[in-house]
Amino acid sequence: MTGAMTASTRTASEELGDNPICASDVVVRFGATAALDHFSVDVPRGVVGLLGPNGAGKSTFIKAVLGLLDAESGRISVEGLDPSSDKMAIRDLVGYMPEHDCLIEAMTGVELVSYMGQISGMAKQDSIPRSHEVLDFVGLNEQRYRPISTYSTGMKQRIKLAQAIVHDPKIIFLDEPTSGMDPQGREEMLDLIGRIAATDKSILLSSHILNDVEMVCKNVIIVSNGKAVTQGGIESLLSQGTERKRVVLRGQPDAFARFMGMLSSEHEVLSVSEEFKQYTVVFVNTKESTSVFELAHQFGVQLRSYLPDRFDLEDVFIDALKGAC
Amino acid sequence: MGLNPVEYRPWNGQRNRQARRFLVVAESIFHHDLRSKWFLAVLIIGTFLAFALNIYLVSSSPHESLTPELMAGQMQNALFYIFLVILVSIVCSDLLSEDLRSNSFVLYFSRALKPEGYLLGKLTGAFITLAIFGLFPSLILAMAVTATQSGSDYLASAEVMLETVVAGLWVTFFFIPIALLISSLTARRTYAAVGTFMVLFVPGIISGLFVQFDHNWRLLDPSSVLAMSMDVIYGLGLPAEVDAWLFYAAIFAFIIPPLTLVYWRIQRKGVGK
Ligand SMILES: Nc1ncnc2c1ncn2[C@@H]1O[C@H](COP(=O)(O)OP(=O)(O)OP(=O)(O)O)[C@@H](O)[C@H]1O
Ligand SMILES: [Mg+2]
Repeated sequence: MTGAMTASTRTASEELGDNPICASDVVVRFGATAALDHFSVDVPRGVVGLLGPNGAGKSTFIKAVLGLLDAESGRISVEGLDPSSDKMAIRDLVGYMPEHDCLIEAMTGVELVSYMGQISGMAKQDSIPRSHEVLDFVGLNEQRYRPISTYSTGMKQRIKLAQAIVHDPKIIFLDEPTSGMDPQGREEMLDLIGRIAATDKSILLSSHILNDVEMVCKNVIIVSNGKAVTQGGIESLLSQGTERKRVVLRGQPDAFARFMGMLSSEHEVLSVSEEFKQYTVVFVNTKESTSVFELAHQFGVQLRSYLPDRFDLEDVFIDALKGAC
Repeated sequence: MGLNPVEYRPWNGQRNRQARRFLVVAESIFHHDLRSKWFLAVLIIGTFLAFALNIYLVSSSPHESLTPELMAGQMQNALFYIFLVILVSIVCSDLLSEDLRSNSFVLYFSRALKPEGYLLGKLTGAFITLAIFGLFPSLILAMAVTATQSGSDYLASAEVMLETVVAGLWVTFFFIPIALLISSLTARRTYAAVGTFMVLFVPGIISGLFVQFDHNWRLLDPSSVLAMSMDVIYGLGLPAEVDAWLFYAAIFAFIIPPLTLVYWRIQRKGVGK
């Protein structure tokens, strides 16, 4: 029975392409609240951002993939393995940096990282040099010989990252890796993630901070209320907006009204606002820009600027959340 | 703090079998305790008071061979129990309470270690550490007595020696399940240590009050049950006034429900509840 299920998941994941993690219709409940509510995603290789507001279900999804939480229904596959039956095999493939405090404070940094390496199956004589290597990598120098109870938040985040990569897993889950860090530490953490990603790892980075995701991720999954509402390449999500234009105009109200009548008959107008007799119009222009200039000239309104409307991740995010509501 | 200009380097070594990883947990406990000043101090004082003097006295006084009565008496020595209970409280108090406080279960269970492996590792670690006091000194005593015996019946002595190995392992193990249970109920190691000490001592006082009405009240006290099981191991039989079924029920009660409860607590932590 188990064997048959594994075999069928394997073919399913092959059909879906080479994605390391797939989930379809996953439901995870805590009592009456559905933390994941028919959650479906295909996580591609590379660094993928799991973006969503507090309580969206990001951490719950990661825990379900690790087999720490059991899904009530739906299917998850990690490199063709099913967390409900192949939990242990999956856990040897992955590294996990939890969101909250979880470090054994009585140990020193290097003891903890080497201990965790050994629990992941490394021999002691391998785990000690490897721990020093990853601690060098995350930038913990002499502090590694101090008990973790004396560490600052930023240092704890680095140790949490180090223990997640000590056994060199293929797939890495980072749950809010920059939380509690100052701007410089945050940048360094993102830099580290970028360097790990350069070695062919799959990284799923959960965050509610758009900038973080924008800086290191090629792909993004937007999560809201336990559902994956949007997913895709950041480039393609942002380029949805290249045809949106923002024009600033000046003119008499009646002339402007006639201009708008003509404009909206030919283009999709998204928003109009007025401030100090100056109008800002956002619309979708799939045609030549000159037609709009001519139109303005024809109706006697002055066109003061014509720019592509900048569509950033924040807009995608807000749109996706609005769409979900 | 700044970053070092090093690139991420992959690691391509071999991993151990998953079923053996509980030994890592056990080894870490053993090393940690051997570096703990409190543990070492109590261990040294306890070994000296409960064994060193006896080893000298018994082996220098004339004796035919190693007898079960002699060893059972040693294993029922009050000083031995007091130090054993203190050591159990020291060794076991932080085993689960510290992980509860720091929430580090998630670090273990996001790796290929099952809750049963984790619990087995903790048990084994505590067991190996406590065996330094529970098993080895009594074995040394038995050997010293055998080496200085005047009679020639070495077979009888060897049998008692074997019983001593069993008795030592049993003594070492007996209090650990209760101590682990107490450690899993609190996130403060001092509470766990004091709690363990109380749970192992207070029943003795209560049972002392009622024992005049019925001798089976002694079975309320883990230390008395352990002392009686020494008589059983050395083939001396249970005291006549104690009910054998109740005795075995008490042993069961001191081991299985605590371990089940601990397992259940860990299991719940493991699934992120
Ligand atoms: N152990 C739990 N018991 C009860 N409810 C829970 C538990 N863990 C999570 N939830 C609920 O599940 C939902 C999703 O939580 P989750 O932690 O996955 O959110 P998140 O997206 O990670 O949020 P954040 O950005 O705050 O970390 C929330 O409504 C939360 O209250
Ligand atoms: Mg979270």
